[in-house]
Amino acid sequence: MSVTRVLIANRGEIAVRVIRACQSLGIETVAAVSEADRESLAAKLANRAVCVGPPRSTDSYLKTNTLIAAAQGTGCDALHPGYGFLSERAELAQACADNKITFVGPSAENITMMGDKLEARKIARAAGVPLVPGSDHAKNPHEATRMAETVGYPLLIKAAAGGGGRGIKLVWDKNEIETTFRTAAAEARAAFGNDTLYMERYVGNARHIEVQILGDQHGKLIHLGERDCSLQRRHQKIIEEAPAYAVPQEVRAKICNAAATLARSIGYRNAGTIEFIYDNDTADFYFLEMNTRIQVEHPVTEMITGVDLVAQQLRIARGEPLPFKQSDLKLHGHAIECRINAESPQHDFRPCPGRIDEWQPPQGAGIRLDTHCYPGYFVPPYYDSLLAKLIVHGADRKEAADRTRQALASFHVAGIDTGIPFLQTVIDDPEYRSGSVNTRWLEKKLEAYGAAHGG
Amino acid sequence: MELSEDDVLHILKLIDESQFDYFQLEVGDLKITVSKGEPIPLTAAPQVAAAPAAATAPKPAPAAAPAPKPEAPQAAAIPPGMVPITAPILGTFYVAPEPGAPPFVKVGDMVTEDTTVGLIEVMKVFNSVRSGVKGVVTEGVAQNGQFVEHGQTLFLVKPT
Repeated sequence: MSVTRVLIANRGEIAVRVIRACQSLGIETVAAVSEADRESLAAKLANRAVCVGPPRSTDSYLKTNTLIAAAQGTGCDALHPGYGFLSERAELAQACADNKITFVGPSAENITMMGDKLEARKIARAAGVPLVPGSDHAKNPHEATRMAETVGYPLLIKAAAGGGGRGIKLVWDKNEIETTFRTAAAEARAAFGNDTLYMERYVGNARHIEVQILGDQHGKLIHLGERDCSLQRRHQKIIEEAPAYAVPQEVRAKICNAAATLARSIGYRNAGTIEFIYDNDTADFYFLEMNTRIQVEHPVTEMITGVDLVAQQLRIARGEPLPFKQSDLKLHGHAIECRINAESPQHDFRPCPGRIDEWQPPQGAGIRLDTHCYPGYFVPPYYDSLLAKLIVHGADRKEAADRTRQALASFHVAGIDTGIPFLQTVIDDPEYRSGSVNTRWLEKKLEAYGAAHGG
Repeated sequence: MELSEDDVLHILKLIDESQFDYFQLEVGDLKITVSKGEPIPLTAAPQVAAAPAAATAPKPAPAAAPAPKPEAPQAAAIPPGMVPITAPILGTFYVAPEPGAPPFVKVGDMVTEDTTVGLIEVMKVFNSVRSGVKGVVTEGVAQNGQFVEHGQTLFLVKPT
């Protein structure tokens, strides 16, 4: 289990983040880049870059065999998958194992178990973790209609192969279920090559709460507290915070313990996140899914725990035991992360690739920026639009939000549009400040913003 | 609006990856005309060749590497008048169909677009490399058994 030279099988800010963590541990790095990323910051920071294919990710970042060959050809003994791309494909973890390359992540077996969302529900049930009332596999519209009577309306039809907000359809009543079921099946077949569907009751006034866990190879597994990721647009997180300020302390403890119990029950190792739905009205919480990788929003946990999660991933992968126990975990203050995307808030948030002429990020107490951007960087049109994550820490939520407000105001970008103007209106919103939000709140703000800005 | 060299390179790249065979752009006094393959049907604007310049600078090798040092291949400049045959995929490059067999091509050989010039192995799968250009091979750049990146120069060809 040696980790002396790591192939970074990803791009963008997470590639930079992983390279920096490697450097902090004296580990060499090789950045796997597509043709479009030859001039990327990751390519510049790594000990070397290796071009793995054309710009389209299906021809480069999504090619398991090419990445394995790149690792072997450049003498890497480990591979970090980042998030997205192949990070949750058991195939890559297995190919690493077969070729004696240390995969910085969980076992292929664990990825497979949690990748099937129906299977994940069974594991959670067996571990005694609360589940959203729902159904097993619904094989056809008639069966779905029958099962829906038990689940109750409104409900969600979900693809077992989905996850991360993809493959979800909302059904308000029984008049809609047959049609929606057929559409969901067709979409799941097209998107995932698997049309297995199941249903869950829809919690209207909900928060998205998730728990960070770390498990080593010696049977020790701990949680690092939770995050509130309720502010979402089309199921994609925009602002994330830690800790989950609006959930009572005793419920937070229960959620974190449930997450650790679940991960322990499958012998999970490395970093992972267990997602829950929290019902604002009843204070009940339910298991949603598990993500078997580092998450985009991991820095908010780092800011309040003082733990470098990516460095821990590398240490765990090379066989080191976790250096702390559960009772050592202390949370300090509050952290807020804003995702800065290349998009145009004035034009219905359409993606906005192109050259960044000016890039002046904010600085100051409690401010951290995870990014791969620099002045003159050309944002390629082939990948997702995340430019940077602004992570701000404060002694409490108010201080963190005030600092975020100031940081966004002094963040100057020219050449492309970013979501910063919209994020500013969110941070200043009285409802946001009071914390009275749920998973649908941001969508309403978006509609209002679009109407006010001629979107 | 002014176009930098950088912008022009990006435009060329986008066209190179597109379905278009012919492209003309006029910005103020500047006119760019690009065509893939056949001669340009319109007025004789100078043709800009989309040279796939391998721009990666070699990185300094880290000290005390336990495995072979992760040195990037030296991206030698393409001599004027020459066209590179580049690796279509990353992998291990072979000049012959099997060990001991004569190479697919030697310096001085004539090649056409469809001539097979080598093999690249990725995870035990062998992919043939086509010349993609008609001309005379003037230099073998990549060595037999060498690990090559996507886009790395394998041969130089003087087009005919």
